[in-house]
Formats: sequence, structure tokens, C-alpha cells
Amino acid sequence: MPLPKQQDVRQIEGVLNEVLSTKTPPVGRCRLLSSGISPTHALNITENIVGHKECLGCGNCIDACALLAREPARRLKTEQRTSMALESTVGEECDLCYACVLVCPQVDTTIKDYIVNRRMVEVTSRLEQLTGGEPDLDLFFEEAVDGL
Amino acid sequence: MDFELPEDLKMVQGLARDFVREQLRPLERDLLGRAADLSDARARVAAEDEAKLAAIARELGLWAAAVPEEFGGGGLGTLAACLIAEELAQSVVPFECGDVTPLLFECNEGQREAYLKVAVSGAKAVYLGIVEPGADFPKMAASARRDGGGYVLNGRKLVFSRSAAEFLAVVFAASREGAATAFLVDQGTPGLSVVSRQAERGWRAAVRQPVVLVLEDCRVPADNVLGQEGKAFALGRKWLPGRRIVRSARSVGAAARLLEEASTRAQTWQSFGRPVSERPSVQGALAEIAASIHAGRLMVYEAAARADRGEPVGREAALARLFTAQMAAGVASRVAAIYGGPALPPAPGGGISLDVLKHLIAADMLKGLKA
Repeated sequence: MPLPKQQDVRQIEGVLNEVLSTKTPPVGRCRLLSSGISPTHALNITENIVGHKECLGCGNCIDACALLAREPARRLKTEQRTSMALESTVGEECDLCYACVLVCPQVDTTIKDYIVNRRMVEVTSRLEQLTGGEPDLDLFFEEAVDGL
Repeated sequence: MDFELPEDLKMVQGLARDFVREQLRPLERDLLGRAADLSDARARVAAEDEAKLAAIARELGLWAAAVPEEFGGGGLGTLAACLIAEELAQSVVPFECGDVTPLLFECNEGQREAYLKVAVSGAKAVYLGIVEPGADFPKMAASARRDGGGYVLNGRKLVFSRSAAEFLAVVFAASREGAATAFLVDQGTPGLSVVSRQAERGWRAAVRQPVVLVLEDCRVPADNVLGQEGKAFALGRKWLPGRRIVRSARSVGAAARLLEEASTRAQTWQSFGRPVSERPSVQGALAEIAASIHAGRLMVYEAAARADRGEPVGREAALARLFTAQMAAGVASRVAAIYGGPALPPAPGGGISLDVLKHLIAADMLKGLKA
């Protein structure tokens, strides 16, 4: 639930790109680059938490992770649902699909916009290369029917 | 942008061209028989001739030229394979030159000797059992049930290659709902039988009847799974788009031969006292045929060069296949008109036309699938 005036991406573009290119779930570091909790939060507490950047433990990133969906056994490692848990279960095998960043309530919308506009286009083809995309069944049909 | 073939590929093309002209074409007359309606044509050349052709092709380095070197092939690229396929398609003599389906390239270390090497050497034909009678591809009724350390296969598979005395089969079967697994099944495995009604003589011999593989409680060990269990359609991803380009090259070659036959016919055939070739309609038809062949050839070479550079060619291969299949069918019908009437021109044009027709049937089947 970031501040109304959020992080200006132009000021952190270099480090953000570094974070987004490193093969490990980027959500935690994107959260730390964000502006933190806004004063309009609806939590019934007296403590001043405005600007705090901790993980809320909502587990959105765990649920959104494509790698954990493919390999659910990795989830057995821990019951925690924090970004730290995501990093320890996924590690360097991260697809860099950025789904975890987009679903994190603590990441600034400016950063999410940057990812969608500047990084996702490049990601789609890379992910297809990774998974191979959908198989072209026509090729098999041709191979069978019209062998050389 | 360089449209000139490199020197080494020109040599490959020259070798294939000489092979077709000196070895395959002299067999055509004998293969097609004497009757105008191809009723005494034969489906294949005699076994000893075939062995001789294979020996010559090996000597020339044309045998299995497109198979990677580590699998015992020539290791030539897609463009070279296209050049060879284009030349081979210019003859009606069915000769496959050691061509092996790239699905077999996925054999693991243990399977290579017994299956891939045997197939590449030409000792055994490969029956590719993917399509089924009455089933809506890619759904399949053939099943693979896990049983102890192996699988039990049941079902029927259609194979569209020529029937062979020695074969090994690659069978796609559903190991669980919605997941196909590929199995290597050797000839003589108990429970595997083959029904072949392929005609050996007559014009029907050119239109192949599929061979039917019948699997009845056919037990294969788990070691015979090709690739990963349940991932049959992930096989050959690296090679299959390239194969589509090579197939397109074959259509171009067939069309080029038809043009050659048609122009000879037009120059030698007379109507109303002058050669047919002097008639503007025939000249126009020949020019259009030549133009469409040239267009198809450029598409094929461009796609093949792209594939050899390691770029993704899914789109280019599909475009080339679509254009060349339709182009070849169009050329066949125009050539029939130049010959003066019958839907199938007399031999050897007739045999080639039947081949082209087969390409078109395959294309129509594909269209039907998408509808």
C-alpha cells in the first residue's frame, strides 16, 4: 500500500534494472526500492508505520510464482509465505517472469508500470524459449502423413 | 543479402543433380511401365537396384546427409538438405537417401545403437505411428498401461511410409489422459503385427495405402520410452520446423520437373500444323509456372538459410510449405492442360503429378484439422 507520492523510477533505473536482471525472485528488492506503507492504511494500530517497507507476509508472490506452480514440491521446504521464503525456495532458477513483483502490495505502482512497459515485452519471448512454447502438432501430423 | 549459394553447397547440389540424372532417371521408364494409364507401373524399383542406388548415394556422401554427424549422418544443414530434396523430387523413382525422422534424434545413449544408428544406416525402415484410424488427432485411442517395469501397448496406428521387410516403429500412445508418450517398438516384439494392403502394381501403387500397426497387449520395457514419459509432442522441437522447409523444397523440385516435361511436350507436340509452344496461351502458362517455381524456391532457400543461422523459422517454414504445396498443385493442373486434356498427364509427368497430389492431400488434411 505505497505512498501517494511514489518512487521516481528514473532515479533508481540503474539499480532496478540490475535487480530485474539478476536470476533470483526480484520482489523483495523491488519492495525495498519502493516508498513503503502510506498514511492512509486501514490497520487499527497506534504505532506510526508510514514509510515502513517490511514484507506483509500476504503470500501473493508465492501463489503467483510460475516455477512453484510447476514444481510444487519446492513449497514443502517452508510454510512461510514471505518474499524471503520465495527467494529461498526458488533461488537462482527464477524464470524472471516478474509475476511476484506485480502482485506484491508493497511495491510501488511506478515500478510495476516500468516492468510492464519496459521489461515484460522482452520477457515473453525469453520465457517461450525456456519452456519451448506450445508444441506445433501440425508438424507431427505432417511428419507422419507426408514423410520425406 | 547474398542470393548466391556458397561453393560447397553448389557442389552438393551438383552431386545430387548428377545422381538423379545418371542413376534415378534411367530407371523411370522401367518403373512406370508401358501402359499410358500406368496400369503396369510398379511401386518401387527392384531390391537389387535399390541396394545399388544406396551404395552410390553413400559413396557420394548424399546418404543421410542432413542427419547430424554425432548420429552417423553427413551433418549438412537445412539448406543442403533442401537442395538434395529438390533434386531427388525431380524423379518419380522413390528413393529416400537415408532420410530419418528427427524424432529418433531424441534417442538416449542406450537407445542410439539399437535404434538411431540402425535407422540411419538404412538397415531398417522407420514406421512412424502417430495418426490413428478414426481418431481425431491429436487425441488418440491407443493406450499405454504401466505394468511392472514396462508398458503394455494397445491400439491401432496408421503409418504412411512404404512398407518394408525390416522395420522399427515409433508409436505414440496415451500413457494417461491427455498425455502422449512415444515408444520405440522393434519388429518382432510380441503383440505387434502389421497389416499392409499397399499395391505393388498399377497407378494406385503411387497413392500409398497406409500400413496399419496393430498393437495387442504389446509389452515394451520402460527403457524404450523415447524422450520423457507423457511428453511425446515435445520431441524433435529443434528439428521439425526445418523438416517442413525440406518438404517444401520437394514440392519445388517436383514442380520444376513438371515444367521441364511440359516445355519438352510443348516443343514437340503439334496442333493445327505448328508446335504447341508457339501458342500464346501455352507460352503464358509456361511463364507463369516458371515464375511461381522461382518464387517458391526463393522462399524455401530464404527459410533454410535462416534455419542454418539458428534463427527461429516456425513462421517462414509454414509460409513456404503453404505456398509451395499450392504452387505445385497449381503447376500440376496447368501442365495437365498443356499436355492437352486429361487430369493426369502421361508418364513420367503423371507419376510426378500423383506425388504432388499427395502433397496437396496432406495440405487439405491439415486444413480440415484446423476447421
